[in-house]
Amino acid sequence: MIFESPSNSFEWMVFLAQKYSSMFIKGTWLTLYIAVVGTLLGFVLGYIVGIVNDIKLNEGDNIVKKILIRIVKAIFTVYVEVFRDTPMIVQAMIVYFGIRQMGFENLTPVFAGIVVTVLNTGAYMGETVRAGIGSIELGQREGAWAMGMSPFKTMIYVVLPQAFKNIIPEMANTFLTNLKMTSVLNVIAVQELFMAAKTVGGNYYKYFDSYLVIAVIYFVLCFVFDKLFKLIEKKMQGKTDYALAIEYMDNQ
Amino acid sequence: MSETVISIRDLSKSFGDHEVLRKIDIDVNAGEIICIVGSSGSGKSTLLRCINKLEKQTSGKILYHDKEVRDVQKEMNDYRSKVGMVFQSFNLFNNMTVLENCMLCTRKVLHLPKEEAFNRAITHLKDVGMAPYINAKPSQLSGGQKQRVAIARSLCMNPEVLLFDEPTSALDPEMVGEVLNVMKDLAKTGLTMIIVTHEMAFARDVSTRTIFMDSGYIAEDAAPSELFTNPKNPRTREFLSRYLAG
Repeated sequence: MIFESPSNSFEWMVFLAQKYSSMFIKGTWLTLYIAVVGTLLGFVLGYIVGIVNDIKLNEGDNIVKKILIRIVKAIFTVYVEVFRDTPMIVQAMIVYFGIRQMGFENLTPVFAGIVVTVLNTGAYMGETVRAGIGSIELGQREGAWAMGMSPFKTMIYVVLPQAFKNIIPEMANTFLTNLKMTSVLNVIAVQELFMAAKTVGGNYYKYFDSYLVIAVIYFVLCFVFDKLFKLIEKKMQGKTDYALAIEYMDNQ
Repeated sequence: MSETVISIRDLSKSFGDHEVLRKIDIDVNAGEIICIVGSSGSGKSTLLRCINKLEKQTSGKILYHDKEVRDVQKEMNDYRSKVGMVFQSFNLFNNMTVLENCMLCTRKVLHLPKEEAFNRAITHLKDVGMAPYINAKPSQLSGGQKQRVAIARSLCMNPEVLLFDEPTSALDPEMVGEVLNVMKDLAKTGLTMIIVTHEMAFARDVSTRTIFMDSGYIAEDAAPSELFTNPKNPRTREFLSRYLAG
């Protein structure tokens, strides 16, 4: 131990971080785990919501398809509204206790935490994806449709790759938000970073110093990930030059 | 008489209260090169978009080889793979290179093997003089180059009919020439073409049939030699007056 008897806030921070390092490390991992898994699955859900909401029905489509798509769209609309219009901390409580009340007594808080993160992210991403799809001019699709490509394949090969690129900054934002929002999951007793700081702070009645420790951890995590996303974004820009295929040049 | 490929029957289209197309009837025969001319807002482009089913008609039918193309996705896809379209704004896929643009639909719609799709792409890109640019992205090309790639892309599908929606309207005069030349060469191959254009000289020289549209109606449908020298309809005469005088 560097500081056996800490006397100021900085020394307390180092002292607590050292003494309870395993707790902070475990909390960090759990925070990362929930944020990464929850965000990735949430993105998948968001893309599904965004794509389904974009489906347009033709007059001649069969009745089963028409009804099915209308129902799914209605469900998604309600879902997106509900999850965007309620706080995540409340959602966490309702999902956790709700699922337990339905008879799943051995539901772990971590699992519930991931479910809440996925549902929350999905609702926001659904809107982001919808906007992303809308940002791609209609002509891109018409170019593919006019060659007989189905709307679904057009979405996969032409629209989404372009929309994806446009919404990377928003996806990065969502991930950073989730990384920090996992802290509210302490209300359902998930042992993430916030919970770790609360517990550690209580041991010495040093809440200020304990929360400062996790503030630093959150900051470093977000900072590193932000830089990482910027790098990905830059990579996605692609090359600005191209090589002429001289083998196909006319011999003049 | 040659075979009828596309029949447009009693086709009308309204946007709200605004009637854009009124009871259009056209038979398109194999090998015909039809130029549709007329003032802006006369419904030319809407007609072409209805033929390709990008716009849904309010009433009337489109028949392909005497069979109605209904508003069912599968039927429309099959039909469109045979009836290609070249747009005013090119609509090349921005996320792909020239080569990928030309191979996407042959691979994913016609399910051609990679090698065959590649060969087709190169063949048609050579036809339009764009083969050296296979690695370029659309944003790196000039307008005329983009349009030539778009034409090659459509040709890769081996279409029976190719629709052109004002293919040169977004180009500067120099580029107009290079695109029109490509289209002239195409006309010689016997491909059936329907071309909406403001290029009167091109319509006169290349088309086998010229249609003059005026406020949603077909005002005149005649051989270009007839329509450009001796228009029957007073509206046609008025529209062409500047061109004829010059």
